[in-house]
Amino acid sequence: MWEQVRQALNQSTTKFLTEMAHLLPGMVALIVALLVSIVLAWILAIFVRRLLASVHFDERLAHWGFASVADWSPMNSPTRLVSRTAALLVILTGFLIGIAAFDAESTYLLVRSVFAYVPNVVGAILVLVVGGVVASFLARSVLIGAVNLNLQYARLLSLGVKWMVTVLTVAMALEHLEIAPGIVKLAFGILFGGIVLTLVLAVALNSKEVVTKSLEREMKEPSAENIEEPFRHV
Amino acid sequence: MDVESIPQQPLEKTAPVESADVVVGLLATLANDAMQAFFQALHELPGSPKIVVLHGEPGSAAAAATPQAVEGNSSVSVLPWSMLNAEPATPVQGISAAFRSLFAATEKLGARGCCLVASEMENATPDWVCRLLDPLLESEMDLVVPYYTPHKWQGLLNNSILYPLIRSLYGKRIHNPLGPDVGVSRRLAQKLAGATRNGNAGFEQVHPLASLTPVSVCENLQICQVRVGSRVYPPTDWINLSSLVAQVLGPIFLEMERGAPCWQRTRGSVSVPARGEARPVSEETDAADINVGRMLETFQLGVRDLQEIWSLVLPPATLFELRKISRLTSDKFTMPDELWARIVYDFALAHRLRTINRDHLLRSMTPLYLAWVGSYTRELQAAGGAAVEQRIERLALAYEAAKPYLISRWRWPDRFNP
Repeated sequence: MWEQVRQALNQSTTKFLTEMAHLLPGMVALIVALLVSIVLAWILAIFVRRLLASVHFDERLAHWGFASVADWSPMNSPTRLVSRTAALLVILTGFLIGIAAFDAESTYLLVRSVFAYVPNVVGAILVLVVGGVVASFLARSVLIGAVNLNLQYARLLSLGVKWMVTVLTVAMALEHLEIAPGIVKLAFGILFGGIVLTLVLAVALNSKEVVTKSLEREMKEPSAENIEEPFRHV
Repeated sequence: MDVESIPQQPLEKTAPVESADVVVGLLATLANDAMQAFFQALHELPGSPKIVVLHGEPGSAAAAATPQAVEGNSSVSVLPWSMLNAEPATPVQGISAAFRSLFAATEKLGARGCCLVASEMENATPDWVCRLLDPLLESEMDLVVPYYTPHKWQGLLNNSILYPLIRSLYGKRIHNPLGPDVGVSRRLAQKLAGATRNGNAGFEQVHPLASLTPVSVCENLQICQVRVGSRVYPPTDWINLSSLVAQVLGPIFLEMERGAPCWQRTRGSVSVPARGEARPVSEETDAADINVGRMLETFQLGVRDLQEIWSLVLPPATLFELRKISRLTSDKFTMPDELWARIVYDFALAHRLRTINRDHLLRSMTPLYLAWVGSYTRELQAAGGAAVEQRIERLALAYEAAKPYLISRWRWPDRFNP
């Protein structure tokens, strides 16, 4: 009986050691891949940071209307956000390469599905970036136009437009990522409709006062156009 | 002159006439009697020069008003001008396109110069157009600009920005640098056409209207002003005032960028000879009728809501001053000339640096411009018509005094970055 126990132990030890011997190169490959990717990420981060600093990326981003990005960036610097994101992507890639070295079916499938998802992520990021640019451009156009028309709710209008475009963009990005598409559509409809309704109510309520004032003014004085009639600009 | 740069339509249209001494582009819509007087005056030009008038398409109302006698006279030929039928995107672009077409026709016909008539005059004597042509033909002038009789409430964009800015930049006191009723010699037309060609390579499209004065000054050409009376200004479209500001200032700021090496060398200013008799400034709308409340409201709204944009363009000291004056009541409201001059310079620099989208930048200037108009109106409400010139002179001196500020910021924008 003891002989059988000894054989069983030997077999299990041999099996364990054999499995370990199979896994060891993979683990070493994972560690090496991680170490190399960390070094590469560190170099890339320094390069990206210096490059962006040389073109005054933080200031430019603020000029392009993305001042709020600084608020949720590490050390309030969008340059650091970009450099760290790039570094993280390199480390993640190294990790996935290391995982793939195990040569196991499940890890292979995992890596394959992760890489297959990358185009969706890239597409979603592009949609978000373009949406952000469009949202700030439109918000600024509406703000300037409304101020020049002397509309007291200029800022509200501008914010409304910005949020409408942002909500639309986020919904499109989530749709692209295939994350709960049904819920996204529903939530988008509710949010978009809500913003439009809020804007309409706010403008209408503000307008009520404006219309009342302007009617009162009409009763007392000649119209604004007549008041400013003598002015000729060019 | 490069033939490719000449628009094809004028080439075809001028085919029946082989040569001319001067080409006149008639863009203004004149009444029948004014049209008769216009052609009569052209006939009476001394020296009987050969004149080609471009206007309207055959069969149009303007063409129908052309006196029949003209066709029998060898000195004045009338050719159809398709410019009037083309719908320009903006009035400024329309006038620039008219100039390009006129320059091409001048070159094609080998004329000594050309003249654009784009305005109507109040109580005009028929010969006012001839007064623009005369210096071109008799005195070999290169640029003949109009000197409209100043009005208290008219030509405000010219008085507040165009005249003092161009005077401080190029050192010449040209009161209406953008005309638009202008006489141009063939030499200047060729230089402008050349600037347009070079401009297409490196810069954005050059607007002849904005380039007239800068090119003339920088190329040391002969310039004179002609007192032509009071211009009838088009009515103000308050809804599109910001578009107007952007349309006019955009080409001026672009030209500033192009001519920077020239204007940075200029200091002070000299007067430019003006021909003709000065007419008294007319007393206009009664002071009590003018209310600047709406303009100041727009400015206050701008101070409240456009800070985010202005802070990218203006230094903190200017923003602080703007906040301070926005709290003044309308009866005490004043925008100091020094502040206004620095604001205009800061916007010109931001335009060059593309700090924000250029259209946004120029449109966001409208509340500031309205604040200046409000301040000017309050100041001149009780003053007589003669005070206008003194007031504009004071503003122009403030622009000249602030020019070193512009040059510093232009040369080292980062060092002075707000």
